[in-house]
Parts: sequence; structure tokens; C-alpha cells
Amino acid sequence: MNKLLKMENLERHYETPAGVVKALDGVSFEISEGERIILLGPSGSGKTTLLNCLSALDSPTGGTYKFFESEVPRNNSEKMTSFRRENIGYVFQFFNLLQDLTVLENILLIQELSGNKDFSRAKDLLKLVGLEAEIDRFPGEISGGQQQRVAIARSIAKRPTLLLGDELTGNLDTETSNKVMEALVGACKQENITSVFVTHDEGLVKYATRVIRIDSGKIISDEKIDNQYDGV
Amino acid sequence: MSILLNKRLARSLWRTKIRLIAVVLMVFVGVFAGITFGGYTHNLGGMYDTMQADDDEGSNLADIWIDNRSAMWTPEQVSAFCDSLFSNWESNTTTSISLDSCEGRTVTQGAMFYSNADGERIINSLWHGIPADANADRVWMPEGNSEGRTAVTADEIVIDAHVTDALNLSLGDVVSIGAGNVTADFTLVGIGYHPLHVLMAPEGSLFPTEPGEYVVGYLSDTGMARLTGSMIGTSNTIILDVEGTPSYDLPDTQEYEGTEIDIVKELVTTSLSTNELDARVRDRGQNEPIEIMRQDLAGAERTTVPFTVMIASIAAITIVLSLQRLVQSQSREIAVLRTLGVERSSLMIGYLVAPLAIGGVGCTLGALVGPWGMNGMLDFYQDLVGLPIVERTVPLSIYFSVIFSTMLVVFLSGVFPAWKASRLDPLEVLSGQSEMRVGSNKLRKLTSWMPTTLGLSIRSSVRKPIRLTMTFVAVGISLMLFGSIQMMGAGLEETFVGGLEDDQTWDAQVYIMSDAEGPVLDWAENNSANYEIIIEMPLGSVTDSEKIERIFNVVGLDNFQSGMRPVSVIEGGLPNTNGVLPEVIMDEGSMGFLGWSVGEKQTVSINGIQQDVEIVGISSSELARTMYFLRGDLSEITGVNATSIYLQLPEGVEVNSDLGEFSTGIVERQNLLAGINSLLDQQTQIFQSMMYLGLLFTIVVMFNTMIMNVAERDFELATLRVLGASTSSLGLMLLFESLLIGIIGGIVGVLFAYGGAVGLAASFSSWQFIVPVSVIPSVAWQLMVGVILIAVAMTPFGVWRLRRMDLVEKVKDLSQ
Repeated sequence: MNKLLKMENLERHYETPAGVVKALDGVSFEISEGERIILLGPSGSGKTTLLNCLSALDSPTGGTYKFFESEVPRNNSEKMTSFRRENIGYVFQFFNLLQDLTVLENILLIQELSGNKDFSRAKDLLKLVGLEAEIDRFPGEISGGQQQRVAIARSIAKRPTLLLGDELTGNLDTETSNKVMEALVGACKQENITSVFVTHDEGLVKYATRVIRIDSGKIISDEKIDNQYDGV
Repeated sequence: MSILLNKRLARSLWRTKIRLIAVVLMVFVGVFAGITFGGYTHNLGGMYDTMQADDDEGSNLADIWIDNRSAMWTPEQVSAFCDSLFSNWESNTTTSISLDSCEGRTVTQGAMFYSNADGERIINSLWHGIPADANADRVWMPEGNSEGRTAVTADEIVIDAHVTDALNLSLGDVVSIGAGNVTADFTLVGIGYHPLHVLMAPEGSLFPTEPGEYVVGYLSDTGMARLTGSMIGTSNTIILDVEGTPSYDLPDTQEYEGTEIDIVKELVTTSLSTNELDARVRDRGQNEPIEIMRQDLAGAERTTVPFTVMIASIAAITIVLSLQRLVQSQSREIAVLRTLGVERSSLMIGYLVAPLAIGGVGCTLGALVGPWGMNGMLDFYQDLVGLPIVERTVPLSIYFSVIFSTMLVVFLSGVFPAWKASRLDPLEVLSGQSEMRVGSNKLRKLTSWMPTTLGLSIRSSVRKPIRLTMTFVAVGISLMLFGSIQMMGAGLEETFVGGLEDDQTWDAQVYIMSDAEGPVLDWAENNSANYEIIIEMPLGSVTDSEKIERIFNVVGLDNFQSGMRPVSVIEGGLPNTNGVLPEVIMDEGSMGFLGWSVGEKQTVSINGIQQDVEIVGISSSELARTMYFLRGDLSEITGVNATSIYLQLPEGVEVNSDLGEFSTGIVERQNLLAGINSLLDQQTQIFQSMMYLGLLFTIVVMFNTMIMNVAERDFELATLRVLGASTSSLGLMLLFESLLIGIIGGIVGVLFAYGGAVGLAASFSSWQFIVPVSVIPSVAWQLMVGVILIAVAMTPFGVWRLRRMDLVEKVKDLSQ
């Protein structure tokens, strides 16, 4: 597998009145294309900060972060946005679909904003996540699980290289969580997308190919696992 | 507990500083405007009271004017009339008021021969002969704001203070003046004012001239006798002063208030008849120079209330919208507090107190700065009318009424959001259900063909229809302030300046004594100038359906179409000589007021003589009420062949002193145009502060809407930013929204402005002055484009906010 990204000795320190907080403290790892990684750790361990640095939402204060051998921009909002637009897909815990747009239009909007509107692809993606019957419905008219599947379809609509998710099943029951994860793994596999998800749900490990555990801003374990689930 | 809650609310409010400042500013401007306009009106009224007062300081404005400019009454005739009137008065039992004085005066048009380094010129003038022991209509010499004393001897003159600066005159100067064929020198002994000449407009005209282009002087009775070559006491005007001020009809009201003065007028008519005198009898409401200024003041008073209410409404809408938004943005906090057991009433108190605190700050600032605004407006009015306004106070009652009403509006504005805050369902808010809503299918169908970004812009804009409507109402009211004044001003300018500038072709109007046109016509022929003889007198009157006597101008022309003063006929035809009844054209405003139609025969009074006329046409709207006759017909009725002559001067020929000596006054069209333009400019300037206030409000309301739109959409904009949408593409979305709001706001604004202009014109219109409203496309476009530009100009703020959005923090919010 080709190497997708490499973080070396990455730091994210915050100056606070109480002193320096080391949210990330010398994190190093590589991710190859096609991997499905789950970041596990307790609250305040630094996993969300790591996700934010991976997505270029946040700028590390030290270390290097290379994506396809190129340095990822930091401290430059427009360049960071551009990096995200070209490479990153993002799934939120609370779906964050636009309530005034239909399911289909939520996907079309992202394509339009990235400059490659593709009506048939948007429909195909909804089919991929099992929502072809709901394309003209508003988010308020479908269930939470369905909304999250729309959010997944939306996040991969512009063909990102890396898909990130923060507690994306945290708001769903176990059965729905499994359905969402199955849809996600299926979509990533079909679209050849690498993915990194933050969770505290050990039950989701079965959908990953690698699990990184983090605590106090440091990686405490990084293990590849023999995946039990390999997509639909 | 409630102190902590209120502290929490105060801190929350402080987080939205810009919006908070916008609301405080709105309240401030409302109170500032209320105190400025209220104080302005109060002191303006006081100025006229001081000037017209029947005491040693005032000029004692007369109650009745009896005049006939084509006649000169001997001192014996005047005396006989006054004796007869006093006698009738004593025997009359219907009135308890007494007659203080009956005095004869001469008021005559003339000219001042003025010379300075630039050469000599003739200035159109009016001369009053005022005896030293005059009781009514005296010269007003306010202490500290006038110079010298009144004229006593036959070679002394007081010149009106409105012109002395422009003509660089000072006490001791000798001025050369004329009336008819006589000229004489007088020494300037005083500079003062007169209640009939607050507005320096030549007789028969409503427009003041440029400073120094029209002179009014006050001679003694002996001085007037010397100037006119007549006996002391010879008069063309008799003025009556009645004890107190008997009520007279105010022409701009529907009611008839003139019952008290009518008793006096009946006695006057009887005495005129007994003494076989023909004259026009006018009370204060019919004396144009007095009535113009009274209506100007009444207009200022009338507009103060609606303008203040409009400003308060905009402030109220902004406060309601802002507080609602505040409650909405705090729904999660409120839900947590409610879950923790905080009572509804504890929450509600904070949301009721907050607007009062905001109102308190705004009111304090407004009350502090209000007197400054009032002084600014009074200074402006003082410059406009040239009268000193010495007494300047803001009564406590004005402070109280403005602050109380503003605080009431502010309090009521806070009630709904406070009630809403206390009614929030914690479960619904915390479960996120309150954020969930189902989009509109109708809107989806309507916008499905559009690019998704544009569709989203439209759907987002109309997501809160009540708030959007209130925004448009606020924009509409703001533009009502701005646009209606612009529309009315444009209508006035087009009507009054348009005809005089584009249609009329005379260069100078030379006023003459009755039938003394010969020398002027000779002058015209010697100088190869074209001429046209006209009759023009403010001597027509008619009793309307309410039994109110209405005064109008009568004009006699030889040619209505190709003459130097063409008449624009909008209905009917032109008068012809039919040998039976004089055919006339009447102006649109008079016809509307009187309810007359083309083809009707009516009886009117011309210089006191009853005359039947046939209405054959209607002329387009004019400021003054006017009836047009064929000159021959009018000459037969009045016995006057000409009152003035229009001249078209060939290249190189100018009005000179020879012509001045043949005339009682000369008006040059360019000067008249300059005077009208100057008056319109001044009137517009009076309203300009309100206009710009309206514009400022439009900007603030649009800005507030934009802030709320962006703030409310933080959630979805942050989502799109995290998903990689560039600020430029999101900025484009915001631009679509701004454009949409701008276009709708512009249309609403034009409609409101037109409605406001119609209302404003109606409130200003009266028998004397019709204020037309015409929708001039350029003004409407200007308003539309203005609002769109304001809306679009707000987009960079949204983009700026997008750029400084802390996405890491937003992602935290999005994940909670």
C-alpha cells in the first residue's frame, strides 16, 4: 500500500493562564492508503486534537505533517481550507445536514462548492448508503441513522482521499451504529478512501484495520488488527 | 439567585457587543430625535409669539387687513370708515371683544436704487408707511438683535434686517428709493423686522428671493407721504387690532374655526358698504405671509410626531428582533437553567430588565445630546427665516414624554422575547428537537431548478418569515423617512421650477401702477424688446361648500399657448370671448378643493365684485390657487388694463434705471428661479437631517439583519467550512442572500416611500399650497439601487466573520 501521510513528533501546545497544556506531545505515525483507523482514548486524551490536525482544521505548534510527501499547510486559513477541500471528508456526530435542503441537495451542495457537481454520482452515493428512496426528503423527515448515512454520502461526494469522523455513532443506538458503520466501510472500500475515526466505543474496533490508542497527548499503542468485517 | 442570573444575562449580552451597540444607538437616536424635534417646535412657536405679541417688546400683529391696491383712500375716508366701524361695534351685541385700533396705512411696491463697486442696480422693493404712534403691525426691534430705532421724520427709513447684510447697509447710510414716478433719499436709522415679512417673498409670490434681491423698508407716515407725493394719512390699507386674538379659520384644517373673526368681518363689511369703499378683507388665516409661516410651523409640529413615531418603530423592531435572536442563541443555556430548577419568573425578570437597561443607556445619551440637535435645527431655521430665536429651552414635559414613550416601547419590545425565553421547553432544546425543522416543499419546487447554493440562499432568507417581514417593515419605514422627502422634493421641483424654467420665456416682469404701462411699452420698443401685458392680482375669492371664503390669484393673459407665460391645460380647452360670460381656466388644486368640473358656471368675487364665470379648462398643478382669464375679460371686470408687463430682452439689453423709474418693481426670471431653487433647497435641507437619519436607519437595520443571518447560520456555515467550502464560495452565497433581501427591501422601500410622500404631501397641502407628489423614476431607482447597495455592502462583514470563524471551536460545538 502507498504511504498517504506521515506525522513526525507532532505537537499541539496551548498557552493557558494555568500554564502550557500539551494536547499533543510528540505524536508520530504513518498512514497508508486504504487503511481504516480507529483512534481510541479517554476524554481529554488528545484524540480530537489529533483529528483536527489531521484535517488541517488546527495548526500544530511543532513537528511535521506530510500528506503525499508534501507539507500540510498550517496557520493559513485559506490554504488549510483548500487542503481540506481537495483531500478531506468529514463526518460529524450530529450529522449537521442543512435542514432547508433535501437529502440529494445536501450532497449536490458540497459538489457545487467544490466545483464538480455530478447529479448521477450524488444519486449513486445515496444508493450506496441505502437511501435512494429518500432523495427528495428533508433531513427532518428521516431518522438519525439515515441522516448520518446521508452525512457519510455527503462527505465522500467530492472523492476525498482521507475521511475523518469524530464520534460519528455517538448519538446512535448500537443497531443503527452498526448499520452506519457498515455503510461507511462499504463506501470507503468502493471509493478507495482511507479513514480515521475517533470513538470511545470499543465495539467499533471490528470495522477497523488498525487501532491507535492515545492518552495524555501521546500514542500509547498502535496495532494493526485482523479485520473481521471487510465491507458489504 | 436572580442576581447571578442577571449577571449571566449581562455577560451574554456583552458577547454580542455590536448588536447591543446597534440597539442602544437606535434608542439613542429615537430619544435624540424626539427631544430635538420637540424642543425645536416648542421654541419656534415661542419665537412667533414673542414677535407678534401685543406688548412693548412685540410688533402687535393686526387681526384684520382691509386693502385695495388700486385705490387710495383719503384721510377723511379712512377716518369715516373707522368711526362707522367703532359705532357699529358699540351697537353690536353679538361680540364681547373690543376693537383696540383702526389705522390707515400706505403699503406700496417700489424700487431701491442701489449702487456699489459693481455699479448701480434696481431692487424690487416694498415700502410701508408706519406712523410713530402706530398700534398694530409695528416694526419689531428685538433688543440685542436689531439696530437703531424706528423712522419718525420724513427722511428716515428702517430697512428689514433680512437684507442689510447682503446689501452691506449700516446705520447712517443714505438710500435712494422710488415708488411710481417719484424717487427720494432717506437716511437709514434702524434695522429691524416686521411680522408680515418673515419670509422675504415679493407680494403675490410664495418664493423668497436671493438675499438682497428684494427689499422691504419701513418709513414714517410723513416719509411715505413724501415718497408718494400724497397727503399724510392717505391709505390703501386699513388694519384693525382687536382685543386678544379672536379665532380665525385655519385653511389647512377641515373644521371651521373662524366664527369669532367672522363677527368682526361682518361689521367691517357693513362699514365698508356704508362708506362706499371697495376692498379686500382678510384675517390672519387669509394673509399669506402670516399663514405661510404659521403653516410652516404647524408642518414642523405635525411632522415631528410621525417622524418620532417612525424612528421609535424602527428602534422597537430592531430591539424585538435582536432580543429574540438573543433568546434563541441562549436557548441551550436557558434549557440547562430550567433543568436545574430555575423558575420561569426568575428567567423572565432578566429578559424584561435587559431591554430597560439598554433603553436607559440610550435614553440618557439621547437626553444629553438632544438639546444640541435642537439648537442645530433652530440655528438652521434662524438662518432660513432670518429671525433671531432667543428663547431656547427644552421643557421638562418634552423630556418626560419622549423618554417615557421610548421606555414604554422598549419595555414592550422586550416582553415577547422574555415570555418566549420563559416558555422554552428544556427537553426539546437539549434533545436538539428545537433545531430540527422540515423544509418547505413549495420552496423546494420553486427553487429546485436553481444552483443549489442559490436555492439555499433563498430558502435561508425566507426561513424566518416573520423576522424577514419585520425587517422589511423596518427598512420600509426607514426609507419612508428618506424616500418620501426625496419624492416630495422632486415633485415640487418638477412642478414649480419645471414650468417656469422650461415653458415660460420672459426675462423680466415689470410691475406698474394701474394702467401706467405706456412708458414701459415705449422703453420696450426703443430697446427692441418683445413684451406682453398681463393682469395679475391676488384679489379673487370664492365661498366653498363649507361656507369658507377662499382667496385666489386672478391672472389675465392675451395668449395661453404661445405667450411668454403658457398655461399647461390638462383638461378642457382655452378661454374664448363669447360676449356672455367670461371663460376661465382654473388650476387643478383649486378644482379639486372646490369640487368643480369643466363646463360649470360659478360665481366668484373679483376685488369685491360678484362675477359669474364659466370654467372651460383645468391647468396643471400650481403651488398658488389661480384663475386664468382672457385679459380683456378681466380688464372689464376690474377696470384695470395691466398690472405688469413681461419683457423678452434682446442680446445686450438689460433692465436699467430708466425702466426702474417707470415701474413699481421688477422681477427677473433668473432671479425668481434662483429664489425658488433656493427655497426648495432650504426646505429640503430642513428635512435632510431626517432623510439621512432614514438612510442611517436603513444601514443599521440591514446590518442588524445581516449580523443575525450570519450568526444564526453559524452552524451550517461552519459545517460547510469544515467540509472544505471556501470563504469565497460561501461569500457568494451570502451575496445572493444580500441581493435578494436588497431587491425585496428596495421594492418595499419604494412603496413605503411613495405612501409616505402622499401622506406627507396631504398633511402639508392646504388651499394656499398644494404639494404634488409624482413618482419620478430616477428617484424610485435611486432608492432601489441604494437599498441593494447597502445590502450588498454588508456582505463583506459576513465574509469577514466567516474568515475569523474559529473552526476548532466550531467543531467542538458541532460535536456537542
